[in-house]
Amino acid sequence: MKTRRRMNVATYVALFPAFIVVVFAYLGTMLWTVQISFTESKLLPTFAFSGLRQYERLFATSRWSISLENMVIFGIGLIAVCLVLGFLLAAALDQKIRFENTFRTIFLYPYAMSFIVTGLAWQWILNPTLGLQQYVRNLGWTDFQFDWIIRNDRAIYVVIIAGVWQASGLVMALMLSGLRGIDQELWKAAKIDGIPTWRVYFNIIIPMLRPTIITSVVLLSLAVVRVYDLVLALTGGGPGISTDVPAKFILDYLFGRANIGLATAASSILLVIVLVIITPWLYYEYFRPKRERR
Amino acid sequence: MTKALFGAAAMVALMAGPALAQEPLKLEVFHWWTSGGEAAAVQEFAKEFDAAGGQWVDTAIGGSGSTARPIGINRIIGGDPPGAMQFNTGTQIDELAAQGLLRNLDDVAAKEGWKEALPPAFYEAIVRDGHVMAAPVNNHGQNWLWYNKALLEKNGIAEPTTWDEFFAAADKLKAAGVIPVAVGGQPWQLNLMFNSILLGEGGKDLYMKVYKDLDPAAVTSPEFKKVAETFGKLRDYSDPGNANRDWNVATGMVISGKAGFQFMGDWAKGEFVLANQVAGKDFGCILGPGEKNFVMGGDVFIFPKLKDEQGTKAQDLLATVFMSKDAQVKFNAKKGSVPVRLDVDNSQLDACAKIGVEVLQDPAKQIPATDILASQDVVQSLQDVVGEYWATPTMTADEFVGKWNDTVAQAK
Amino acid sequence: MATATMTASTTALEPSGPRPKRLTADRVGLYVFLVIAAAFFLLPMYVMIVTSLKPMSEIRLGNIFSLPEAWTIEPWLQAWNSACTGLNCGGIKVGFWNSIRILVPSVIISIFIGALTGYALSLWRARGSNLLFAVLLLGAFLPYQVFIYPLVRIYSSVGIYGTMAGIVVTHTIFGLPLMTLLFRNYYSSLPIELFKAARVDGGGFWAIFFRLMLPMSTPIIIVAVILQVTGIWNDFLFGVVFAGRENLPMTVQLNNIVNSTQGEKLYNVNMAATILTALVPLVVYFVSGRWFVRGIAAGAVKG
Repeated sequence: MKTRRRMNVATYVALFPAFIVVVFAYLGTMLWTVQISFTESKLLPTFAFSGLRQYERLFATSRWSISLENMVIFGIGLIAVCLVLGFLLAAALDQKIRFENTFRTIFLYPYAMSFIVTGLAWQWILNPTLGLQQYVRNLGWTDFQFDWIIRNDRAIYVVIIAGVWQASGLVMALMLSGLRGIDQELWKAAKIDGIPTWRVYFNIIIPMLRPTIITSVVLLSLAVVRVYDLVLALTGGGPGISTDVPAKFILDYLFGRANIGLATAASSILLVIVLVIITPWLYYEYFRPKRERR
Repeated sequence: MTKALFGAAAMVALMAGPALAQEPLKLEVFHWWTSGGEAAAVQEFAKEFDAAGGQWVDTAIGGSGSTARPIGINRIIGGDPPGAMQFNTGTQIDELAAQGLLRNLDDVAAKEGWKEALPPAFYEAIVRDGHVMAAPVNNHGQNWLWYNKALLEKNGIAEPTTWDEFFAAADKLKAAGVIPVAVGGQPWQLNLMFNSILLGEGGKDLYMKVYKDLDPAAVTSPEFKKVAETFGKLRDYSDPGNANRDWNVATGMVISGKAGFQFMGDWAKGEFVLANQVAGKDFGCILGPGEKNFVMGGDVFIFPKLKDEQGTKAQDLLATVFMSKDAQVKFNAKKGSVPVRLDVDNSQLDACAKIGVEVLQDPAKQIPATDILASQDVVQSLQDVVGEYWATPTMTADEFVGKWNDTVAQAK
Repeated sequence: MATATMTASTTALEPSGPRPKRLTADRVGLYVFLVIAAAFFLLPMYVMIVTSLKPMSEIRLGNIFSLPEAWTIEPWLQAWNSACTGLNCGGIKVGFWNSIRILVPSVIISIFIGALTGYALSLWRARGSNLLFAVLLLGAFLPYQVFIYPLVRIYSSVGIYGTMAGIVVTHTIFGLPLMTLLFRNYYSSLPIELFKAARVDGGGFWAIFFRLMLPMSTPIIIVAVILQVTGIWNDFLFGVVFAGRENLPMTVQLNNIVNSTQGEKLYNVNMAATILTALVPLVVYFVSGRWFVRGIAAGAVKG
């Protein structure tokens, strides 16, 4: 009994820094954000209550609804493509190929680069008069068309391409390490039983990679909700406002447009959306009573 | 030997002692002028300040100002304010002034005769509740139309003075296989272009009603609709690659002869100069076409309240230096803008700046930039509308007008 | 213990996929896929490198894929040594040591606290720990920028605003959700028998953490290091707001070189500066890449 209490004290001591951070930085900021969203704060925060005015304006602003829509398209696209591509690359690298080190580094390097300028390189490449389209046309295919970046309805997919370029290397690395953890015996057994390779991947390997996949999805979701530099560098939110995303919207109103009230209202809505999406997952993943501790 | 050295050092220290009483007035100056050309301009201020007994401590954070401004504002709030900080001339300083965070410069302004020297709209832009709260430093003309002289001559085009002439010229260029107008399809650039048309075609009164009075009736007027249609028409005279193009890339198109015209502020001159082109010889500049006005934008410095007396003295000194005739001429020649003072010697300026200064002599043609007339929220939300209209050819001028008024009603 | 880790990592050294056959159509297809993928990843880097080696007059022509006609390394020298960021024309090298001085303690402290929190949350029971974790994860989804104003207020009241401590604390705060998640998942994937055996042997909270768990954490620590080094090294916003005038990181110089609105834009210098700034994380990838992959495997084998 006595030892148990001492251990409990140690647990609380260990969790103390996290507790302080959660209470002051995270909870504090969240409450502050929600509170300010009910005020008329402009450049500086004020605490004069103004009801739901900011929310009314927010939902009357087409830029905001477009942002949310884009976040969903971008999110689904980025996560799906990164998982598939990351897995394929990892599986390919796991076949005892030559130059594995080189390939791995090539796939991972974009993650280290600041997007302010790599985004510009992408912007050039995708620009129809400057980049790929023109290049291919100069080679002789004068009908070749790849101008999504200037089309209102397609530009967001171009943002996905650049996002995949930056993030799929990390997913590849996580997947590859997951694959390397799988026991050699398993492959031998499958071979003896004559199971085709693709079935081993589908029926055995992928289910075994579940924790890796979850980590990847959480990392990618964070990137999705927070994405703004990618969009800023690549399309500037345009053409027009067609590729705007929530984080960019919030940033514009928070800083450039000096309207903290509207920016915090937008952040609060974002927070509610995330809460609605991740609560069931969190519960399922971590808090549901488990029969057996793994 | 070492002892001797120490002795000498001690002597020097002793001799320097009395001089310490005259310690330079140290002041940290916070701004977002980071490129090579901009830095060269800032250097002129720093030199003048240091020569006048100050010591310029430089803090530069690059970006459009929306990067640097919040950082500086947070420093003021966090209790570690810079001695002087850059803002755009206009409504950006309202709240800081209202909250009593800024020094009032009434004494310096009175002593140096700022009111008499400045265009009235600029003087108004630095006064809050009857007190001078900022020192203006430059005047950037925002409504210039630049063109490639050789290209126009080759196609037998004279400098257009009306919108009809402009479109006739554009048609000729198009027929010659040249992109008539180099456009950077970023909302702020499009908005500059829109405002050029609003002033040139719609005229000063309409511009002021739309931006200063935020008058919905002016926006629904046939004149404004005409402006919107002219703006929309320009889509056919630009190239498909304009989406999110940087302004200087567009300027580069004019320089290399790929494109004929560009609507842009006077900072575009810097690109021409870098490419060894001379104003009035290789490239031309027009305020207009249509009604000739000069849209005045620019930068000011604010002086946060400091605790130490030396800092306050340094602030007074710097404010004086910023507005001195000498520093004004030197700084603005490098910055590409024109001096904020109207009473300085303009002989050093280039051909384009001279046109600007001449137009500025007529107070009726001094047009305040949108930053001075309305809040950032209004101005930039309207940029969204202009950008959306440009990128959506299916959007009608009427829809655009409706969206404009809705946006103003929400942001006001 | 040490031996167990060693064997685990050596077994994992070998790629574990199906054994390769001789050069078949499959193998060729595999390499074709890898090479095409590599081309996709390298394309922007190619554009950046050729641009960085061209004079501005060539860049203005807009042939982004062409090799330079007049090769120049001037932009690289300028980016490193002499590009102006305001009055200080010292290039991006100015902030290099500041970045290192911010990086090292921030990475160590944020990972240590993340590991400790993950350990306490996964293997021990404390009241409200689930709630703590939930708030942490939720908060991670707020845009960073929203935190600035409240944090400035808190820091200045505690007296760490604009100091080295301020920036280290900031990176610790923002690293905590992800680090906790990583370590929590890792520790719960370890065989619970190990932990139980240690308890039976009388190991306490700290003893088990320092003697058993930390030594077994190499793989996940390397993942954490890669994530944190990249994030902290590339951070601009927090550095510029919280670190103070004396400690501005290299990304501030990069920003100043790259982001000027009205000044001229030297794309060749911008590209060179970006590549130079990314060198530190790139070196970390190169050096740790092998362990990165092998490392997780060691853990996974045991799990």
